Amino acid sequence: MMREDVNVGRQFNNARREAMQFHPPFSAIVIGAGIVGASTAYFLAKRGVAVQLIDASAPASEATGAADGAVSVASKRPGPMMAAALSGVRLYATLAKEGVFAGAFKHRSTFIVAASDEECAVLEAHSAALATVGVRVDTLSAANLHQRFPVLSLKARLGVEVHDDGHAIGYQIVHRLLTAAQITVDRNTKVDGLAIAKGGRSVTGVSTRRGTIEADAVVIAAGTGSAEFLNAAGVLTPRKGQLLVTERAPRLNAAMPGAIMSGRYLLSKGTQKMANSTPARGLGLVIDPLVTGQFLIGGTREEFGDRQSNDIDAVSRILAEAVALVPGLASLRLLRSFSGLRTAVVDGLPLVGRMPGFDNAYIATGFEGDGICLGPVTGKSIVQLICGEAPEVDLTPFDPSRFERSGEKL
Amino acid sequence: MIDPEVIVIGGGPAGIAAAIEVAGCGYAVEVVEQRDSLGGAIHRQPIKGVAPISQASGPKARWRALSDDFASARIPVRYRSIFLGVDADGLVLFENRLACSVERLQAKAVIVATGAVEKVLPRPGWHMAKVSTAGGLQVMMKETGRAPKGRVLLAGNGPLLIAVTAQMARLGNPPVAIVEAGDPLGRTGAGFSMLGHMSLVREAFGYLRTIYLRGIPWMRASQLTAIERDDTSLIAVVRRANGREQRIPVDRIGLHDGIRPNDFALPNEKATSVAGPVILRAGDCRESLGAFAAEADGRRAGRAVAEILSGGHERADLGCVKIERARRAQEVLSTLFAPVGGACPISSLPADTILCRCEGKTVGDLRSLCERADRLTGREIKHNGRFAMGLCQGRFCAANTAALMAEIWPQAPAPVAEDLTGRRWPIRPVSIAALTGARATSTEHE
Amino acid sequence: MTSRAFGWMGQCIPFRDGETVASALETAGVYTLGADALGQETRYFCGIGACQCCLVRIDGVVREACITPARSEMTVETMEVRRD
Repeated sequence: MMREDVNVGRQFNNARREAMQFHPPFSAIVIGAGIVGASTAYFLAKRGVAVQLIDASAPASEATGAADGAVSVASKRPGPMMAAALSGVRLYATLAKEGVFAGAFKHRSTFIVAASDEECAVLEAHSAALATVGVRVDTLSAANLHQRFPVLSLKARLGVEVHDDGHAIGYQIVHRLLTAAQITVDRNTKVDGLAIAKGGRSVTGVSTRRGTIEADAVVIAAGTGSAEFLNAAGVLTPRKGQLLVTERAPRLNAAMPGAIMSGRYLLSKGTQKMANSTPARGLGLVIDPLVTGQFLIGGTREEFGDRQSNDIDAVSRILAEAVALVPGLASLRLLRSFSGLRTAVVDGLPLVGRMPGFDNAYIATGFEGDGICLGPVTGKSIVQLICGEAPEVDLTPFDPSRFERSGEKL
Repeated sequence: MIDPEVIVIGGGPAGIAAAIEVAGCGYAVEVVEQRDSLGGAIHRQPIKGVAPISQASGPKARWRALSDDFASARIPVRYRSIFLGVDADGLVLFENRLACSVERLQAKAVIVATGAVEKVLPRPGWHMAKVSTAGGLQVMMKETGRAPKGRVLLAGNGPLLIAVTAQMARLGNPPVAIVEAGDPLGRTGAGFSMLGHMSLVREAFGYLRTIYLRGIPWMRASQLTAIERDDTSLIAVVRRANGREQRIPVDRIGLHDGIRPNDFALPNEKATSVAGPVILRAGDCRESLGAFAAEADGRRAGRAVAEILSGGHERADLGCVKIERARRAQEVLSTLFAPVGGACPISSLPADTILCRCEGKTVGDLRSLCERADRLTGREIKHNGRFAMGLCQGRFCAANTAALMAEIWPQAPAPVAEDLTGRRWPIRPVSIAALTGARATSTEHE
Repeated sequence: MTSRAFGWMGQCIPFRDGETVASALETAGVYTLGADALGQETRYFCGIGACQCCLVRIDGVVREACITPARSEMTVETMEVRRD
C-alpha cells in the first residue's frame, strides 16, 4: 500500500513527472461534494494540497444522499468494474481500520436469492463468474439457505452468499471524510465554468458568481451537473432510483446475517447494459439491515430522471417484493421514502481521468449505482493520477477520451 | 365507488368549513379524518355517555352551527384514515386503519387542514413517562370527561395553560400549580389592547376567575427548568420570578409552549390542477390562529378551490377580515404572554438534555456536531446527527433543533424546521402490510 | 359491564365505549407503555398521533394508543413483546 505522504508524492518518478508535466499541485479545486468529490478532496488534503471543495448546494445533497449504500461486488461481472469494486471494498475496510470510517462501514455478506427457474439459472452462472475472480462465494441449497437465513421466505429456492461485502451510508461517509480532513465546503456555490489559461491547454481555476477561484488543478465530480463542463450532451444520463427506510426492528434485523438481493436484480441490471433494450423502469430488490435496526429497501432504476419524488406504485411494488422474500417486514412501518438521480454514462462505465484537451483538469463521475462503493477508491486513484503515480485502480477503461475517439465530442 | 373531486384532510373547524363551502359550489367532496369523530383537537367529542367539557359559549355555538351545516350537506367522511401525502403521480394517499389498507384517490383538489401541534421546548426530563403536553391532557379530558389523576403541574407558556387549568378544576382535580414563563398581568399595555377582542377577554376572565376562586398558584415569570424523578413522584424544578428555585413533587406534568402549524412534510400549495391536484392549506396548519380563524380560513380555501376548478383564479381577498382580526388578537396574546426575560436559549440547557426524543439525541450531541469551521445545513444536521430522523419525523424536535442551530451560528440565515424535515411522503409512518396488502404477522418472525 | 375490557400484558383493562387505548390505560394507572427500539420508555404525550411516543402493539400491529379506539377483543402489548 502506497504511503500518502507529501514527500512521497513529490519525489515520485521524477522523469515521468517532467515528461508528462506532472506536479503534485499546491492547490486544487474539487467541484461537487458528493462521495467522489469528498473522497478526492480528502486524499488531496492528506497530501498537503490546499483543497477548495465547492458545491452548488451542500455535501451529499444529490445521488450520494439518496444511495442504497452497497459496498459490494455481489452484482458485478468480471471486468473493470469488478476490479474497481474489489479495490473499493478493500479501501473501505482499510479506512474503517484506520478510524476514518470506523463504525460507518458495516461488514456483511450479500445473499443473492433466486425464486424462479430463470433467476436460478442466472444466479448459478453469476456465482461461478464471481468465483473466477477470487470472490468468496457459497452456494446454498434451499435447505441450507433457510438454516442460514431463517427469516427468508420459503419461496427462495437458491442462494449465493457473497462474503466480504459491506454497507455504508453515503452521506455519513462524506461527513467522515470532510471532518477527518477538516475540509470546509463552499456551499451554495454554483460553478459557472472553468477558467481556461491562454493557449487553452490548462485551466487556472473556476468562475463562480463570487468571482474566479484559482487553483493549480480542477477536478469535476459534479454528477449529473458535470455535463455542462463536458460539452457532451448524451454521454451522461440521469437514472432515477427510489428507496425506502423502515422503522427499527432490532430482532428481525439481527436475524438477518446480511443483505438480500433478489436474483431479479441481476436480470434488471443485466438488461441495463444492453443498449436499446432498457426497460423504462427496472426494479431490483435489495433489503439491507442497517446498524440502527432499520431496513433500507430499494430500489428502482428509471430512465426518466425529471422527478425527485416517490410514487405509490413503485413504493408498493418494492415493498410487496420485499415482503415476499422476508415476510416479517409486513409487521413494520415504512418511515421514509426518498429518491435520487444516479449519473449514468451511456456505455455503462464511469468517466474517470484527465479531461481531454487539458493538462490539469480532471473528471470523476458517472458511477450510476456504484458511487458509494467506488467513490473513495476513485478519489484516491484520481489523486494518484494527479500526482503522477500509478493509480490504485486501473483507470484506462474509464478514460473520458474514449468518447472523443468514438466521435462523441467531449 | 367514484373518486371525489375534492378531498379535505382533517375534520376540524377548517376542514369542515372548507368541505361545506366546496359542496355548496356543487363539487363532490369527501373528508378524511384520522379519528372516529369530527371536531379536531379543539372540539374533541366526548365518548358515549359523557357530558361535553365546559367550553366558552361562543366557540360551542359556532361548532354546533358548523356541524349542523355539515350534517345537512351530507358530505361523506372517511374516518380512521391517516393522510400520507400526495405522490409523484398526484394521487392522494391515506392509510385506512379500519380496513388496514392504503387507499389512493385521484382528485382534482386537496384541501389540507391538519391543524396545529403544540410547541414543547426541551427541558431536562421532558421525555419521561407521566410528562405529556398540556394539550394532550386536555384532549383526553374532553374525550373522557375526567381530569388527569393525582398532583398535576402545568408548565410552559401561553393562554392554553389557564384554559386547561380551568377545565381540570371543573372536573374536580385542579392542577397544583401553573408555571408560566410570561407575566400577562404585568403587561398593562397589551392588556388594554385585549379590550379590542372582547370574546377573548370574556373567555380569559372565565378561566382566571376559576383559578382565583380555587386558589391555584399561577406562577408567572417562572420557568420549569428540569423534571426529575424519585421512587414515587416526578419532581418539578421551578425557577420563580425572584430567582428562587422551588422543587414541587407531582404525579403528572403537562407541558405547553404555544402552538404552531402541523405542516410537517405536507405537500406544497399548488393553485392549478395541471399535473396533479390543486393543493391548498386551510386553518391552523397554514397559520395557527385558533378555531374561529380556522373556520373562516376553511371557507376561504373551499371557495378558492371551487373558483380554481371552475376555471377562475384563486382570490387572495376571500375571508380576509376575520382572519386578519384573529391575527391581531394572536399578536396581542403573544405580547401579553411574552416570556419574561426573553425565551430561554436552548444552548444554555445541560448537554444531556434530550432534543430529539425519537432518536435519543441531545443538546450536547448537536453542539458537538456543530463544532467545525463550516456551517452545516439542516439536512446535514439531520443526516449526520439523526435529528428529525425518527418516528415523529421532526414534529417535536425539528423547530427546536433549528433554533439551537441558529443560536450556535448567529451570523447564518436562521434555519427552519423544514430544512430538517423536508417534504416527502409518507408524512406519517405507515404499515407495510397496509401498503402491500400483506397480512401483518403478530411477531417479527414468520 | 365487565365485558368491555382488553388485554394488556396479562392484565384486564376496562374501557368505556369509544375510549382510546391510551385513555383506558391511563385510567387503569398504566403510564409507561413499555420501551421503544432504543430502550426509551414510551408514554402518552401529544394525544393527536403526532409524536409517536405512545406506540403499542395491538393484535401484533404497531399503533398509536392515543388515536386507536379500544375494542374488547383486542390484545395490546408493549412494543418490545414478541411471541416468538
